[in-house]
Amino acid sequence: MMNSIQTFEQNSKIIRATTIKMAYDSKESHLSSALSCVDILNILFGGCLKHNKKNPERDRFILSKGHACSALYATMAFYGIIPVEMLSRYSTTDSELPNHPCKFALPELEISSGSLGHGLGIASGIMYGLRLDNRDTPRSIVLMSDGECNEGSVWEAAMFAAAQKLNKLVAIVDNNGSQAVGRSDELMGFTSLEDKFKSFGWEAITVNGNSCLELLQALTKIPFSKDKPSAIIAKTISGAGVSFMENNQIWFYRQPNKENLDAAITELNVEPLQK
Amino acid sequence: MRRAFSDTLVNVAEKNNKIIFLTGDLGFQVFDKFIEKFGARYVNTGVAEAQLVNAAVGLALEGWRPIIYSIAPFATARPYEQIRFGIAYHNLPVMIVGAGGGFTYAQAGVTHHAPDDLALMSALPNMTVVAPGGPDELEALMPQMLRLDGPSYLRVGKFGEPNVGSNSPIMLGKARTLIKGEKVAILTLGDIVSDIKPEIERLHAKGIKPGLFHYHTIKPLDTSSFSEIEAEYEQAIVLEECIPQGGLFQQLCCWKATTNAALQLKRCGAPDSFILGNPTREELRRRIGVDAHSLGCICKSIFGR
Repeated sequence: MMNSIQTFEQNSKIIRATTIKMAYDSKESHLSSALSCVDILNILFGGCLKHNKKNPERDRFILSKGHACSALYATMAFYGIIPVEMLSRYSTTDSELPNHPCKFALPELEISSGSLGHGLGIASGIMYGLRLDNRDTPRSIVLMSDGECNEGSVWEAAMFAAAQKLNKLVAIVDNNGSQAVGRSDELMGFTSLEDKFKSFGWEAITVNGNSCLELLQALTKIPFSKDKPSAIIAKTISGAGVSFMENNQIWFYRQPNKENLDAAITELNVEPLQK
Repeated sequence: MRRAFSDTLVNVAEKNNKIIFLTGDLGFQVFDKFIEKFGARYVNTGVAEAQLVNAAVGLALEGWRPIIYSIAPFATARPYEQIRFGIAYHNLPVMIVGAGGGFTYAQAGVTHHAPDDLALMSALPNMTVVAPGGPDELEALMPQMLRLDGPSYLRVGKFGEPNVGSNSPIMLGKARTLIKGEKVAILTLGDIVSDIKPEIERLHAKGIKPGLFHYHTIKPLDTSSFSEIEAEYEQAIVLEECIPQGGLFQQLCCWKATTNAALQLKRCGAPDSFILGNPTREELRRRIGVDAHSLGCICKSIFGR
């Protein structure tokens, strides 16, 4: 039974509070980039993704923007995939939850990440291999950043996936508009990611990526085409959900102090999962 | 050696239905037999080497045994980050094949030279690195490499090299004793052995008797064979179509620094510079002293003839 939109929205708040608390505790996070994709992760793990790693027919999910992993871990803890207690070890030595995801530390992952531009190509190989095995149930869903789309390897993968008609491959671009140093629009020449994917032979739509409703509607429609891969350009806000972090580049790097943490929790009006 | 590769590829793919071959848009007509037999297990990713590697990573995660193929510089240096991240870090059983390693494509210019392929691949944890001396070694080693649990790199030469031709066993990770000798041990890496072995045989006929040891595997390094060479010879000369950093010579030097052996170790190999001027491979090898003539002169000098 799928959650109601209101429940999803409330869950997003708890995941955000949890993610911010992880950043406060560890002093290690790309917080604005994690917060922008919380709603996407929430909708995926809250119902749109078959994520049981033991199930060979599961969907293959890859967080290609590995620097946003605190939001992934918080979402996985929220939905009971990893224990909440594990979050307190985020970004500590020998942790299951390093600050870039490592498959050897956390076997629930399909692959490690942290270096940008790999997820889509790897997912295309996964889908080619599954199709060759005549297994047409699993999909592969890759969550990428817009800055990641600077990488040429993303477009090599996009070309391959379209040429091979990998219609069970889904790219979700967390289009929060900001990169490590600049604005993604400025660095990509103010061009449309939706148009880019379409011109590479994909079916693509743009949605409000901080709207649980729009994300849910989009994800329930995939594949958008029977012989093309699907791209969802999710327009999001960097630092989404906490007013003083929104669209403020410093929160890509800054870790919250106690005052920031308290202000964020007060605004979200929920408690984080961890103590 | 290229033909031995394509034939062996068909043979191993017949025995193992999880083998899948990916090319970065190279190998015109070389793999026609494979395509005819295995259809969708042949994938052309296009001139897109990052995708060539990443697709193989995804396939390996799903239990396939990908063999990826391109010209050596484009199979190694170009997608190095993808190899390092996807294949090496995750220790996946992907075989990377660099066609025309070393200076096989000497006259094609610096863009097509790959004297660094073995060094680059050796720098990666989990990687096994192999440069067969001839078609017979390739045929023997490739199935052994495909039994590994982790990744490997195979340097493949051109068409038409002779077999190494020796009864010495061909075992992955083990140097081969091709000719026993005295005083001086010649150590070859890769297909240079096909030039050197006949020269050593000619020298023996003249009473000059260096030993010949052939390294088809550079990683893991066969230190036990080298220990025997250290014990039995006064000098060893490494011949390698490889840059100084990370080649056989440097790796043996590092090993030797941990032993007390008196063996003198010398090197004939590619310099730490780009080779301009589009020489033929033969001219290039002569220029850098990695050829039969240069070796003959060195041996005659050492043996006082």
